[in-house]
Amino acid sequence: MKKLIIVLLTLFFTTVSYAETITVINSGKAGGSFNARTQMYKDGLIEQGYNVVFLNIGKISQAVKMFKEADEPTIMVYATNQVYKQNLFHTEENFIMLEYQQPLYICRTNTSKDKTVGLTVAHGKGYDPKLLTSLLGNNITLVPYKNSGAMLKGILGGDVDMMVNNQGKSFKYMASGEGTCEPSDKLPTMEATVIGINIDVQGIREVIYNISISGPFAEYHTSRKLHRPIGSWQDELALAQSGEKGYLIKK
Amino acid sequence: MNELIAVSTGLFAGTITGIVPGAGVMVAMIIATPLLMSFDVIQLLLFYMSLASMVQFTGTIPAVYLGVPGETNSLPAVVEGTKFNKRKMAKLAIGISAIGSVLGSFVAVAITFTLLTVLISHMTVFFSNDTKFYLYIFVIAFCLLVYNKRNIIVNLLLCLVGFALSVPGESDISPEFRYTFGIEDLQFGVPWIPVLIGFLIVPTIAKMVSSNNPNVFLPNVNIGFCKVVKYFKKKCIPSSLRGSVIGYLCGFVPGVSTVLSTNTSYSFEKKLHPDTPSKLLVASETANNSGQFASMLPLLLIGIPITGSEVVLYSLLVDAGWSPFQFDNITNNADMIFRQIVPWFVVANIVGLIVAWPLAKQVLNVFSMSKKYMIAILGIGMLVLNTYLGILDYRLLLYTICLFVFSCLGLLIKKYETVPLIFMFILGNDIEGVFFRQMLI
Repeated sequence: MKKLIIVLLTLFFTTVSYAETITVINSGKAGGSFNARTQMYKDGLIEQGYNVVFLNIGKISQAVKMFKEADEPTIMVYATNQVYKQNLFHTEENFIMLEYQQPLYICRTNTSKDKTVGLTVAHGKGYDPKLLTSLLGNNITLVPYKNSGAMLKGILGGDVDMMVNNQGKSFKYMASGEGTCEPSDKLPTMEATVIGINIDVQGIREVIYNISISGPFAEYHTSRKLHRPIGSWQDELALAQSGEKGYLIKK
Repeated sequence: MNELIAVSTGLFAGTITGIVPGAGVMVAMIIATPLLMSFDVIQLLLFYMSLASMVQFTGTIPAVYLGVPGETNSLPAVVEGTKFNKRKMAKLAIGISAIGSVLGSFVAVAITFTLLTVLISHMTVFFSNDTKFYLYIFVIAFCLLVYNKRNIIVNLLLCLVGFALSVPGESDISPEFRYTFGIEDLQFGVPWIPVLIGFLIVPTIAKMVSSNNPNVFLPNVNIGFCKVVKYFKKKCIPSSLRGSVIGYLCGFVPGVSTVLSTNTSYSFEKKLHPDTPSKLLVASETANNSGQFASMLPLLLIGIPITGSEVVLYSLLVDAGWSPFQFDNITNNADMIFRQIVPWFVVANIVGLIVAWPLAKQVLNVFSMSKKYMIAILGIGMLVLNTYLGILDYRLLLYTICLFVFSCLGLLIKKYETVPLIFMFILGNDIEGVFFRQMLI
């Protein structure tokens, strides 16, 4: 019996010591897309036999700081609209995978259809005002909001005539019947990515890719109508790098 | 059976969350997420509704007995509840708050039922910047006019300090970090728990230490439930009804919801009855429950979450198969509210009343020990809470420094009512954004 216990214990510890350890940083708040995606990657990695160290940071700036300072294999979900603010860009060294891409939408209320002057436009506080005025004209008043949800409530509450918002909130606004939305081919697109540090990005890409096409992820992408571009690692990196340039705020 | 499981677990989680200072509905939702992932849409809604309702009942207990706010909306309960405690009438405070909460919930349901059509067509009015702007003007005016014996200068200074504390970090209208003085941790703003401890709890502890009454923690007047009901009927019904209506309307305001409900109702009542703690307590606690129900309606009817905890719920609902686009489904949603949610909401409130009363007695027994031990426990508890939240937030050093600095400041201004300061600290960022947008629109 004693021998059996020793054998079992040895087997157990042997397994543990061979399991690869990976740190997953959660940079999103509960209820947000970063958070949901990170949780799914975490669960997927555990299922694949990885020993996951989960750091639940919840704030993107703090998460990026920890990512940069990490000295263990670490991954984090990220997006092109964050790169300038966080000073962390997609490179050959850190880029693992492009998960989906979505355009920004320009929505307009039904009541402002005939309005041509004095239009008020809601936008996220991180958007480039110069880019918006170059697209929509100088004759507009830009109204900044904290985030996409606040913008949606603002336009539904009658604060503004138009808004520049992400796909999810724009679909929701269209469902309200209060106005219409069009995807913009001039405004930057948002690419949702996965990045890593101290890790073989090509090696982990395959694992991450397989997780991202599995059950819960497929459901997540379908229910939110998220578009996934198909291409090689180089193509995806090029797309992310080109997308992130759109978020440079010209002073 | 599935509904009963959801309601029971929600009530249990609400009981624990309410009596643990600093824990709120959002924290409870996050902790319960692994369990909630197996719930269907109705179960999720019932769990949340039971949890949020129960917290309003049991959250009054630490607020009244210890002067510790469970959440930011417990502030009036702390201020007025401790006055009851000093007069050894804490049980009366718990009783009238619980009855008021039930009444508030029922009034909220009645208003919703009566005005459903109007509500659906005009709900988005509450999302507008205009509404928030005028509400904030009203609240600021009350902050200036009703506290500290109506000393406007003192109140103004307190408001300014509170606002100044809300400024560091990222604002609602600009992506830049401001007034961080090179301290990275300040990018996320001044943490709220050291502010609450420093400006609210430390002065309370200081007053207890300096008090000659050794039984300051002994609410030893045992009052029967019937007497509490009688007292409520005689003195608190008009305040409770006023609180219900004010709380209900403020409950729709995104982001601030029940915080605005309780504080607006409290400020309004303070204008009418400045020296009647029972009316003030009941008005704010009633508004809390009424506002809680109202705050759920935008999510339930049109699928738009308006509070932090609702965002978590929304994400779970979508994962459970709920369509994120509910605008086409309003009639079915209204039907669901009255057929499947409201009956359990009534049950949850009755259970809340039944649980809060004996639970208060148990808590009373725990606190019936030596004053110096209780002060020591309270002091250590606050330090542990601050440290724990600092670790969770990865900002322990800042939390500790803030606790020390704000505690010293809190002691210096202990003779003043600090509610205007705390209110402006909590809402400062939002007020700034609303006022800025109002200038643009």
